[in-house]
Amino acid sequence: MPPRVTFQPCGWQQNQDTPLSSEYDFALVNIGRLEAVSSLSRVQLLRPGSLLKFIPEEIMIHGRDFRLLRVGFEAGGLEPQAFQVTMAIVQARAQSNPAQQYSGITLSKTGQGSGSRKPPVPLMETAEDWETERKKQAARGWRVSTVNERFDVATSLPRYFWVPNRILDNEVRRAFGHFHQGRGPRLSWHHPGGSDLLRCGGFYTASDPNKEDIRAVESMLQAGHSDVVLVDTMDELPNLADVQLAHLRLRALCLPDSSVAEDKWLSALEGTRWLDYIRACLRKASDISVLVTSRVRSVILQERGDRDLNGLLSSLVQLLSAPEARTLFGFQSLVQREWVAAGHPFLTRLGGTGASEEAPVFLLFLDCVWQLLQQFPADFEFSEFFLLALHDSVRVPDTLTFLRNTPWERGKQSRQLNSYTQVYTPGYSQAPAGNSFNLQLSVWDWDLRYSNAQILQFQNPGYDPEHCPDSWLPRPQPSFMIPGPPSSVWLFSRGALTPLNQLCPWRDSPSLLAVSSRWLPRPAISSESLADQEWGLPSHWGACPLPPGLLLPGYLGPQIRFWRRCYLRGRPEVQMGLSSPTISGLQDELSHLQELLQKWTPRISPEVHSKDPHTILNPTEIVGILKGQFHPFWITRC
Amino acid sequence: EIHTNEKEVTEKEVTLHLLPGEQLLCEASTVLKYVQEDSCQHGVYGRLVCTDFKIAFLGDDESALDNDETQFKNKVVGENDITLHCVDQIYGVFDEKKKTLFGQLKKYPEKLIIHCKDLRVFQFCLRYTKEEEVKRIVSGIIHHTQAPKLLKRLFLFSYATAAQNNTVTDPKNHTIMFDTLKDWCWELERTKGNMKYKAVSVNEGYKVCERLPAYFVVPTPLPEENVQRFQGHGIPIWCWSCHNGSALLKMSALPKEQDDGILQIQKSFLDGVYKTIHRPPYEIVKTEDLSSNFLSLQEIQTAYSKFKQLFLIDNSTEFWDTDIKWFSLLESSSWLDIIRRCLKKAIEITECMEAQNMNVLLLEENASDLCCLISSLVQMMMDPHCRTRIGFQSLIQKEWVMGGHCFLDRCNHLRQNDKEEVPVFLLFLDCVWQLVHQHPPAFEFTETYLTVLSDSLYIPIFSTFFFNSPHQKDTNMHQRQLSLPLTQSKSSPKRGFFREETDHLIKNLLGKRISKLINSSDELQDNFREFYDSWHGKPTDYHGLLLPHIEGPEIKVWAQRYLRWIPEAQILGGGRVATMSKLLEMMEEVQSLQEKIDERHHSQQAPQAEAPCLLRNSARLSSLFPFALLQRHSSKPVLPTSGWKALGDEDDLAKREDEFVDLGDV
Repeated sequence: MPPRVTFQPCGWQQNQDTPLSSEYDFALVNIGRLEAVSSLSRVQLLRPGSLLKFIPEEIMIHGRDFRLLRVGFEAGGLEPQAFQVTMAIVQARAQSNPAQQYSGITLSKTGQGSGSRKPPVPLMETAEDWETERKKQAARGWRVSTVNERFDVATSLPRYFWVPNRILDNEVRRAFGHFHQGRGPRLSWHHPGGSDLLRCGGFYTASDPNKEDIRAVESMLQAGHSDVVLVDTMDELPNLADVQLAHLRLRALCLPDSSVAEDKWLSALEGTRWLDYIRACLRKASDISVLVTSRVRSVILQERGDRDLNGLLSSLVQLLSAPEARTLFGFQSLVQREWVAAGHPFLTRLGGTGASEEAPVFLLFLDCVWQLLQQFPADFEFSEFFLLALHDSVRVPDTLTFLRNTPWERGKQSRQLNSYTQVYTPGYSQAPAGNSFNLQLSVWDWDLRYSNAQILQFQNPGYDPEHCPDSWLPRPQPSFMIPGPPSSVWLFSRGALTPLNQLCPWRDSPSLLAVSSRWLPRPAISSESLADQEWGLPSHWGACPLPPGLLLPGYLGPQIRFWRRCYLRGRPEVQMGLSSPTISGLQDELSHLQELLQKWTPRISPEVHSKDPHTILNPTEIVGILKGQFHPFWITRC
Repeated sequence: EIHTNEKEVTEKEVTLHLLPGEQLLCEASTVLKYVQEDSCQHGVYGRLVCTDFKIAFLGDDESALDNDETQFKNKVVGENDITLHCVDQIYGVFDEKKKTLFGQLKKYPEKLIIHCKDLRVFQFCLRYTKEEEVKRIVSGIIHHTQAPKLLKRLFLFSYATAAQNNTVTDPKNHTIMFDTLKDWCWELERTKGNMKYKAVSVNEGYKVCERLPAYFVVPTPLPEENVQRFQGHGIPIWCWSCHNGSALLKMSALPKEQDDGILQIQKSFLDGVYKTIHRPPYEIVKTEDLSSNFLSLQEIQTAYSKFKQLFLIDNSTEFWDTDIKWFSLLESSSWLDIIRRCLKKAIEITECMEAQNMNVLLLEENASDLCCLISSLVQMMMDPHCRTRIGFQSLIQKEWVMGGHCFLDRCNHLRQNDKEEVPVFLLFLDCVWQLVHQHPPAFEFTETYLTVLSDSLYIPIFSTFFFNSPHQKDTNMHQRQLSLPLTQSKSSPKRGFFREETDHLIKNLLGKRISKLINSSDELQDNFREFYDSWHGKPTDYHGLLLPHIEGPEIKVWAQRYLRWIPEAQILGGGRVATMSKLLEMMEEVQSLQEKIDERHHSQQAPQAEAPCLLRNSARLSSLFPFALLQRHSSKPVLPTSGWKALGDEDDLAKREDEFVDLGDV
């Protein structure tokens, strides 16, 4: 069990259906600030190692995840304990060192009765997972490469990834050597219309590839398309330091005692620049979605390290273009693939290693997703609460998902853990040998930390997949898209496409992709029709001006909102009315009426029963849970 | 109700729809109306006409939109119609320079930009129009929208005369007009205020004063002759009674006097009046002087004029330039802060009445601006009846129309005095919107209703918002004599709200009386905090007391009203509309189950409300629905302006093809 502070309300029982309670749990790493309050309203800020100057009446723990835990010690003999408990927390913080925090994990509950337990979401650690996903996306021109099976191409890359069919593994290996940290071009997502979204690291400019290598690199980037767009991911987006600074400012602004006057709130919020960054991400993702959707082409996201903004943009583009990614399962798979497996350095970015380069890029991504949820309330199967749960999970050291920097480290650790589990967990049924990955727990095992009622809340009551008439059909729709011009290479930067003379930067390299500079993607009728063509508006799409399934988000100042329920949850006013009142209110009423009716009619007519699957849940129960329990704020005095 | 004037129909042109009594004044052809979001300045050719009711643009190529959404079109004001009262500012563009247009013009602009009060922006290019026609239409539009007008020239009267027989009152509309004694008695009974208050007809025929309605309610012990004494000034007029018996009252200040003798008389008069509502320990009154220590109308005016500029956008480039500083610009307008202060004041008063059982007397010079606003807000929060549509309309009728809010002056319908133009009523609607937005289930109406209501301020076929007082309306509407001299606007007492000094006299007189009752301001703040926090700490009862959140992040921009014409703000298939179908489906199901249950109880069936089937069928509406139609153009992602270069014609484009292709507007 990792070091943590936990609060157990009276009547709380260990059993429950959540082995690791999430509600009042604060991992020591998550403690941002600890304060002791005395009766005279004196407040002492307790740093690791400080000495408590008085007997506290209340302690306040400010989480780095914006949660706030207030524990009151009632007068009457509890004073010595109050002092002890507080000092114990202070000392534990002083002693804890980041490396230790992640060493232990409890697995006691999970193994029970499920020897070959399947992870709820494919962890993308086996070739089968990759092959299944490839088939699902109908990416016919692609295959799963095993070249990195021993992590010898790059430790930050997953064992398996997708490369074009025609490229041999030894070509892959050689081509990848010419990219920053060996992160060569891989498929992220195959659009049903034919386009491919790729991601890769920066070109390793110091290398001196030969002709063959260049050919391999180019054909990997081209991916069989004649129209290639290289997207400079870092252009117009914040860098890591910007993200970190903005997040720090945001957290300072959202502290309950933040001294910002109400009428100065908006400019203070603007001053954090957090919302600005969100909108830059949404804008770029929206542009890239149009690029992917409007023509059959290869779109390559290129970021020097390929481990931060590439993951963010590629995930956002898929959320915007693929209805599949907007389901609960699809989204979790997406995060697992584009962030976890793709080697986003979670540990470093979330400050776990204490090193520099801390930057909550993933939290920025979650906020972007929340914005989409706000703008398209009927298009996402998951709810705001799911995003909150995910947001809170990144610093809870229970599973390995967010606690390692690379797939290689994660794999190493999980093998170790499996051996621990087999030794130390009594009652654990022995897993079949060689099936070690099945035992690995991930953040997607929600039932470890959340109750069933809470997990039910992950569903968005307003989700209406019918809303988009043509639901996701993974089949090529060639009529749907216009083929690109012959051999054209573009750089997408600052919102505009610029023709490139060559794809690779190495000097004097005989580029095989000679750009025909006379070619212009335009049927030369009028400038307007070109715009329509470029932006994916062929007339046969009819009255609905966007291809089905594509969402184009708003990213104007007034449209980017502040995620109150995440950042301000220390405030009581944010606690109330957590759920969208109208739909959940109606669901309440609906189930109440159905209950009434059921009482009166012993045999209820089947059509009433089967009308709405959502009503099978009991929302009344859930609403009760939401008021104050989901996120701890009101703490009963004990 | 909409009639087509057959004479105006020529063969090829699109029909100009004229209302009864509406007359065409001038027109110009081959006018190019720019499609706003299109930075290449594309447009539609057509005719620009000006009638005595509106400015209208009739596109030559009006391909009939057989879109489903057309059924949601406004029946009176079309997409390209601007009522004359809706025009805010007119600009002309001369050699790329934008100038405000007014008065007599020496030179005529090549481009006309019209900013509307509902925040639409129209741009007309006159370059291809005959010079004569340009002169006629520009000067016509400027004259009819900007020049001071006489009340009798309001289109309202021509319409009323012409459509005299057509007005059919909807029998289902049970809005109480408060123009009869009966209405007031009904309201007294509803709120159980009839124990302590009585409806009086002392002002029947406006004998006492023209500022007050013919019938109103005063404390029962108040002698009726007191009302006459200062022409209705210095009299506590009843607004509403709380379930615990405390009442909300308003009073217009006594005229300011220098003379000590008169001051003495006033003081003893007020003493007498106070005894009717302040009888400790049974009844205690708290006075809220809204003329001092609260908002001034000047502040509201300044804030709104800054605020609206954020939404009046001539071109996308300009919009993107300001967009980056959106929050600080918004904050510096202080419009949201003003909303917060109004809501806070209303909560304070609610606390006095609800928690401390006090009568509250609102005081203002004429009791017809902030009094209307605050007293309506208090009632919205305390009285669930006001949150129904009929209840809300009745409230507006009671507090604003009968309360003598000077709509004519505040909306500047006659263009006689720009200084008097203050959007007090709009401020009220925005405050209500905050409540609706925070607690949607507590209201029978939606934000769309509020938006449409705010638009009707500028449509002069309804008389509701076109008079300064019920007296003015009665004399003008009933007699409908166009020769009637406009004495009203002159004889009404000065509405000098823009003075800086506060009304010391009233403050002193009242201050002495009640100073012992008022807690120190710290304590007041504590009471407020406690009340506010404890209410928000409990689950909300939507049929009971309803308080808004007023913390910094909770006051929001009424996006539907202010952003609806900005194509960039459109989210296709998104916004609240997206969940509407789901909502309707569930509502239907609830209803059908409810009916089944009712059947079991052998009670009457509830009338089936038919949900608009369109919402269920159409897959993707715009987030700006029902105000903006889905447009192909607006679905283009707007690219940042940084790399923005408007490309010229095709040749130009061909020349540049080697170095640069801009996705934005090629």
